[in-house]
This record gives sequence, structure tokens and C-alpha cells, in this order.
Amino acid sequence: MIKSFVESFKNLFEKPVTVNYPSEEIKRPAKYRGLIVYDVDECIFCDKCEKVCPPKAIVFHQNMDGTKKYHYNEYLCIFCGECVRSCPKIDLALTHSEIKPNIGTMDNEIFTQWRQLYKDAKQSRIDYKLSKKKPKKED
Amino acid sequence: MAKKTINIPLGSQHISLLEPIRFNFTTENEKIVDVDWDVGFVHRGIERACTTDFEYKQVGYVVARVCGLCAITHSLAYTMGIEQLLQLEIPKKIQYLRLLMLELDRIHSHMLCLSHVSENAGFEGMFMKIMADRELVMDIQEAISGNRVQFDYVSIGGVNRDLELETEKLLKTNLSELEKKIDDLMDKFTNNWSLSLKYKNIGVLTKENAYIMNALGPMARAAGAKIDVRLETNNFPYEEVGYEPIIETSGDIHARNLVRLKEIKNSIKMVRNIVDGLPQGEIEVKAKGKPNGETFVRLEAPRGEIFYYLRANGKNILQRVRIKTPTFSQIPVMVDIFKGANYADAHAILASFDPCMSCTAK
Repeated sequence: MIKSFVESFKNLFEKPVTVNYPSEEIKRPAKYRGLIVYDVDECIFCDKCEKVCPPKAIVFHQNMDGTKKYHYNEYLCIFCGECVRSCPKIDLALTHSEIKPNIGTMDNEIFTQWRQLYKDAKQSRIDYKLSKKKPKKED
Repeated sequence: MAKKTINIPLGSQHISLLEPIRFNFTTENEKIVDVDWDVGFVHRGIERACTTDFEYKQVGYVVARVCGLCAITHSLAYTMGIEQLLQLEIPKKIQYLRLLMLELDRIHSHMLCLSHVSENAGFEGMFMKIMADRELVMDIQEAISGNRVQFDYVSIGGVNRDLELETEKLLKTNLSELEKKIDDLMDKFTNNWSLSLKYKNIGVLTKENAYIMNALGPMARAAGAKIDVRLETNNFPYEEVGYEPIIETSGDIHARNLVRLKEIKNSIKMVRNIVDGLPQGEIEVKAKGKPNGETFVRLEAPRGEIFYYLRANGKNILQRVRIKTPTFSQIPVMVDIFKGANYADAHAILASFDPCMSCTAK
């Protein structure tokens, strides 16, 4: 009884466990897992990151002129970093940043139309292969 | 007048439950006579997804999402299975780092269970206190792996991050702080009069029944049965880092609490030994080839034995992934303990099982 009284009295003057969040910043440890950052100039378009990604959050769209376009869905990403590890250009083309993902809003194309985008990207590769084959047959 | 029985359902949504499980108690006055149960409310079809949608290198991350509390155990058990199929030899440093995360996982899972036991016994303040103390361990895990809950720390052939000097410092300060708090909790759980009303001689499991009904983990050890995968397998250098089996004899809720508290202390000791004796070397071994054949892995999760069965035929997608989780194997024991108990104690007993439904239904 006395012991618990003393303890509760002590507790009044202790530092609170919680943090006043918006006014005070939460301490984040170094190497916090944030968004995957992509560099077009360094990329060699080997598609390894796309193959390895568990939630399929990375997809390359094949343009008809032979170039590829990188799409990344930050809302699907689980931040496992498997793509960064599989990348042959170590710490250049793909890097693990400490940036927080943005809030998904309805005017964000990747947030609302990812499925269509993914389907189109897959289809674009099939179309590209077919268009390459055709001229050979005509010869 | 003939004896009348009353059916009282508990769940699938109930204030004392963390996750959806349904019990239907048949009671005679206050006594529980019979129990009916249903666990399949959160079925997500993970086993099927592992063999259709995902390649074997990705499955580790899928399987980690079976459970939030023992995430590292699931991904680790799977990775070990694949490494057996690929015939990879894992260096000691990687094993030490994996064991480190495994033991930290055990500490925070046990603390969660203890907090809920005290909450269900009517001790809301204790619940808050233990949950606040649990942050100490969560911080360490976040510093090591970069994530707070889903760690994604283990990958095939190694671990994703090395232990750095700063995290090592944080680990040591946090653990010494935690150890004091655990000592304090141990005192409260044994000596507090109102807590002992709800814990002592309630929900008793005998040693015989523990063996007959296949009890696992802290539940079996509280009843005096020496059942622990860490004793039976040598996947990890348990003895090197100071593992001791912890056994209580009375088999009631109080004994289960004590087993958990003592295991936390043992785990703290193990973590310290691991960090002090961490060998040098690489943190990743290159995995080559594709898995072929079948294998199984047993690991001691915080709640008991976890069992993985894998079958592959040399292709990218596995043929079969079977997960057996401790809660599912322990349902007969739960039913046995409930019979003969008072209905008023059912919530405290249920919390002391530490049931994990998302593991069980997967």
C-alpha cells in the first residue's frame, strides 16, 4: 500500500513517455527505410529490379522507338530494398533514400490508375516484340 | 429440476480479443462445461499465393507478412529451408545476426502477451506501462533493420544490414534499462495480491496433459514439460550464447507469466553475448541455382514450435509451402484448460495462451 503510494507520487514528476508529435520531431534512427530513388542517366535497363520486386511495384514501359520508361508505385512498395540489392549499378541507378512517401490523392495518376499502367506496360513489351518480328517475315 | 446449460459466445469480435477467434462456451452456472471454437476468420490464402504468384526469392517477403509479431521467425524459417535446398553453407556471422533478431523478437512478443494478460485481468495501468517499456526493444529492432514491425531483415544467403557501432550502443543502453524494468515487473507479477487472485491456480495445465495434448512453447514449459525446439535442434549456436531452458511446475497463468518474464531475461543475456562475441565476416553469401527436392524446418517462435515444409522441382516457383503455426497445434490444450474453469476467468486464461490468429488462419 505504502509502496504503491510512493510509486504513484514519484510517477507524477517523471518525464512522459510520449512525444508531442507535430511540435516535436520524432527521432528516427539512421538508415530509415524510405522511398526508392531512381536515376535515369545511370540505368542500363536490365529489368532486374522489376523481376525481383515482391509486390510488383516497379515496371518498365517499352516505347516503340526502343527506349524504356520507369514506373514506380510508392504506395505498393514494401521498402524491402531487394531491387537496390539486385541492381548491377551499385548505389547509382537505384538508391534507398530516407524520404517519406507522399499521401495518395485522387489526382495522382500512379495512385489511381496503377493497374491500367501495369497492364499497358506488360502489353507494350509484347507489341514491341511482335513489331520487331514482322519485318523479318516480309523479307 | 434438470440441470440447464447456457451457451455464451466469446468472439469473433470481443473487447478482450486482439484478433478474431470465436469460442462458444457451454456453461453450467459459472463453470465452463464444453467449448467450441472457430479460427478461420482471417484466412488470406498465403500458402496458395506462395506457390502460384511469387518466385522463390520473393516468397520470404510474402511469408513474413503472415504475422506481425513473429515476422522474423517466419521469414527466417523459410529462408533456412531454401538454403537447405540450395545446399548453401551460412557463415557464423550471419547466423549470429539472425539469432540476435530472433531473440529480440521473442522479447517484444512476450512483453505484448504480458501486457494483455494484465489488461484482461483488469489491470489497465500495467498494460500501458508494459507497452511503453516495449518501445525500448522496438527501437532497437528499428535501428538494426530499418523497419518497425515488418523487418524484412533476412534474405536468401544472408541478412540485409550489418550491425553498426551506434546501434550497438543503443542496444546496450536500452537493454540495461529494460532489465531493471523486467525485474520490477517480476516483483509485481509475483507479489501483487490482486493480480495473484486472477492468476494463481487458475487455468491449470498438468504435465501429463501437456505431453498428451501436444502443448508447445511457454505453455508447456510452465507445466513442467521440457519442450523446446532450441533444445532439440542445432540450427543456431544456442548453447554458445548462453541459452538455458526455463521450466516452471505449477502450470497456471502465474507460471506462464513467470516463464515469459524469465525467458525475456534469458533472451537479454543471449543478445548481450551475441553482440559481444559477434564474429567478423561477410553478411551475404551468393545464392546460385534453383531449389530442388523437399525439406522441413523447425524453429522456436515466441509462442512455440513453428514448422515449415517446402517442396520444389528445380523451377522458379515452388510446388508446396506448408506452414504449421504454434497456436493451431495448441487448440486441444486450450479446450482442455477451459473445461472446468469459471467463465469469469476465461478472458485472463485466453490472454495467457497468447493466441495469434493471423498466424493460424494465414
